[in-house]
Amino acid sequence: MASDNAILVADDRTPASLRRRIQEARLPWVPITILAVILFCAIFANLVAPHDPRENDVINKLQPPFQSADHILGTDRLGKDMLSRLIYGARTMLQVTAPSMVVAILAGTVVGLVSGYSGRWVDSVLMRITDAVLGFPSILVALLIVTYLGTGVWNVMIAIAATQWARFARMIRGEVLAIRDRDFVVLAQIYGVSSGMIVWRHLFPNVINTLMVLTSVSVGQVILLEASLSFLGLGLRPGDPAWGILVAEGREFLTQAWWIALFPGILITVVVMAFNYFGDWLRDYLDPRLRRAG
Amino acid sequence: MTVYITRRILEGFVTLVALSFVVFGSVHLTGDPARFLLPISNDHDEAVYEAQKKAYGLDKPFIVQYANFLYKGVQLDFGNSFTARRPVRDILLERIPATVHLALAGMVLAIVIGVPLGIVSAVKRDTILDKVCKTFAIFGMAAPQFWVAIMLIIILAGYLDLLPAFGRGDMTGWFPTWSQIPNMIHHLILPAFVLSLAIIAAIMRLARSAMLEVLDSDYVKFAQVKGMSDRVVIWKHAARNALIPVITYGGISLAGLLNGSVVVEVVFAWPGVGLMLLEGVLSNNFPQVEGAIMVSGAAYILTALIVDILYGYADPRVRPN
Repeated sequence: MASDNAILVADDRTPASLRRRIQEARLPWVPITILAVILFCAIFANLVAPHDPRENDVINKLQPPFQSADHILGTDRLGKDMLSRLIYGARTMLQVTAPSMVVAILAGTVVGLVSGYSGRWVDSVLMRITDAVLGFPSILVALLIVTYLGTGVWNVMIAIAATQWARFARMIRGEVLAIRDRDFVVLAQIYGVSSGMIVWRHLFPNVINTLMVLTSVSVGQVILLEASLSFLGLGLRPGDPAWGILVAEGREFLTQAWWIALFPGILITVVVMAFNYFGDWLRDYLDPRLRRAG
Repeated sequence: MTVYITRRILEGFVTLVALSFVVFGSVHLTGDPARFLLPISNDHDEAVYEAQKKAYGLDKPFIVQYANFLYKGVQLDFGNSFTARRPVRDILLERIPATVHLALAGMVLAIVIGVPLGIVSAVKRDTILDKVCKTFAIFGMAAPQFWVAIMLIIILAGYLDLLPAFGRGDMTGWFPTWSQIPNMIHHLILPAFVLSLAIIAAIMRLARSAMLEVLDSDYVKFAQVKGMSDRVVIWKHAARNALIPVITYGGISLAGLLNGSVVVEVVFAWPGVGLMLLEGVLSNNFPQVEGAIMVSGAAYILTALIVDILYGYADPRVRPN
């Protein structure tokens, strides 16, 4: 996790100094624990989950939670075990958001570095596009993309990446503008280092902190966007274990089976809260200057 | 100021043209628009296909088609909806008032709830009240709208039967008659609250931190030393200055509210543009999607434009030069 990187930035890595640094950093243990548990469930869903999330058990359908040890969180209309579906839902969330975030971060970083370093018309063109994407609510852009590419997980991932890269591009460009006229960059230019090398060896390392902070602050928004798109029925098929879809299914049983919609919603909220907390902590820890920007 | 306004209008115009280009271009990029624009049931019929191509002017060069799209778009003419089998324009004109009502109601709620809570929690800093407000703000930013909506429907509409679970009631169009107003507000409360939840949270945080800063300033301390009552100092001296960032943010988020309503409109079956958009997306109803997106996009750009210009009047620092 990103928290490990933050600690390993330490110069001397003796166990004692590491321990002291961890204490001084005042790590937000509650969010970290929550995220670690969710991550564990996502990766080892097949080991953790008591049932197959797609297995029907019609005799025990719509069973309320906390009634039997076999289905602790109850069952849905076909008797699928809610707890198992929630655990597999964590995996789905990871599978959808992680790759799209990676693509968004890569694309945004490249655009931001190129735009900030080259300046002139390249910068103008790239920033106009960035502003246009940033100017519209993500859900609208995502809907437009899904309309023309069709519904499905892949297209939802494309939609997420297509709406999220711009924030990274904007932020990274700003950072690059702030450092590109500093002595170490100018000297490298005089020395005849190629532009690509300057960007990679001198500029990129200086924006990593910003990148990590922005990533951890954005994850919550991305999870909400993904859940909304699933809820609207644009991503996975009904019946698949995704938290947004579970809430959508629960909507059909509002008063008879409140638990179907309740638990996945709590999970989404808790995960987003944990990421927001962690992001705020990381921002304050790595770069207090950014406090205003958020 | 004139330069600033002109530049800002020009920018808005360019964004709008870019949006129209993307909306129009994506049909062409992803395949043969004549097939897209054809209702699925007639897909196999070549004669219908050719006739359709001619009828929509799809045999003309791309740029001519685009100009045509713009010309018709300005008149809200996006063709016929496949599913409703009537002009998209008529549907839009029916749906726009609902979305605007919802966004305005959401805005009112956000200000009425967010601003006082933010100010009070700054004044009563570190008390239970402050902590409750803070928790609410954190929750409001993290909870997915669709889930909060469903939970509130279960509790308030289902078990307690206090508020209606969906729809606009017997309201249609822009203006309610006197007798419709109670019913209209009754139907607006839940969707407007859910829609504005994240903005209430954001406004509360903004108002709180701005207020804390102002309360710490010399003129507020001086007013207190002078012996003025707390109420006058807080609401007359401090709050007025603390509200500047809140107003800016509020304006920008109104633009967002107009569009953030897709999810809320779907959950509450609110007959607005957002619901129309999703219905279009799920049924491959391209004219309907084009119409809904162009109208939402234009509304968004226009609101942002107006907010920026007003802000330019209010705060000279944002104007260039």
